[in-house]
Amino acid sequence: MTAHPANGLNDVVHQRVRLGILTIAHEARKVEFGYLRESLELTAGNLSQHLTVLEKAGLVTIDKGYAGKRARTWITLTKAGRAALREEIDQLRQLIAQIDHTSG
Amino acid sequence: MTTHPAAPGDGPRELLADSRQLARRVRRDQRATWFPLLVLSAVTFVAVPVYGYGHYALTCRSQGVARACYVSSTSVLVYWPIALVLAYVAIAAFTLRRARGRGVGTRTLPYAVAGIVIAVLLGGAAAWAAAHPPIGSYTFLGLTVGPGHTDWVFQLLTPTAAIALALFVLAAVERSWALLVLAAGYLVFALLPVSDLGWVIGHPSPWDRVPRLVIGGGVLLLAGLLFALAQRPRPRAAA
Repeated sequence: MTAHPANGLNDVVHQRVRLGILTIAHEARKVEFGYLRESLELTAGNLSQHLTVLEKAGLVTIDKGYAGKRARTWITLTKAGRAALREEIDQLRQLIAQIDHTSG
Repeated sequence: MTTHPAAPGDGPRELLADSRQLARRVRRDQRATWFPLLVLSAVTFVAVPVYGYGHYALTCRSQGVARACYVSSTSVLVYWPIALVLAYVAIAAFTLRRARGRGVGTRTLPYAVAGIVIAVLLGGAAAWAAAHPPIGSYTFLGLTVGPGHTDWVFQLLTPTAAIALALFVLAAVERSWALLVLAAGYLVFALLPVSDLGWVIGHPSPWDRVPRLVIGGGVLLLAGLLFALAQRPRPRAAA
């Protein structure tokens, strides 16, 4: 018996906001906190909580710095983050295929 | 294994669709294709007086009874590598600054680096070719080129071809089909003998490259304006 694709889903990543953060960070190479907040339509506090979870899991790195006098926070995907994103997308595709197969 | 119940909208289809939409949005915000096209168009138009008023030298080569001569311009050979390197540095600086302002990284840097490498390599090859006019067949970098193909090889060493090759890199990094079509069209244009363009100035003339420069610069200018129109910032939807 083959494992159901849902069993391979990663709790940390399998969530709309966190998957969104990883997707944006992957496409953008590095992304600023404000861009993430606006794209995902989140409050700063809510986004910070998600970023803390991802950082603790080693999926992103967070760098704080200044652009002139303005404080900026940049988020970069780690190697583990790229792998987790790829795995999540693969699992989602398998899940959809399985649903289509079962209902079709 | 996932243990918490899925929230509404967290179904696999919705998650994948969300992810694709966000990826598209980031790519849209990263793209500034119009800037490299407009800069390269300007560099091409500025080359017109360099060709027209530049210093020309005649290099002749003999092989048995055969003799070949090649007219080359030192100012042109110097202008293009410097102009293209400066153009790509400006492109890199602009895209970095713009990306930082928008809050995303940029994908254009590999294009700028590839552009500089291609410009320097083809500039060096063009200087070598000017000093070694082809007689029948000739050997370059270990490759023997037959008599019928020397024109094509020389066309490939032109700045227009260098710009076209770098555009392929830009099309790849920006994952843009429209730009890929432009790059392919521009390369075909770069490889066409100028007489095929239906606009020829009597040879030999320092202005004989003007048709190619004006058409090439015009194509880049038009494409740059079209991309600028297509990539203009759209107002964010109200939350």
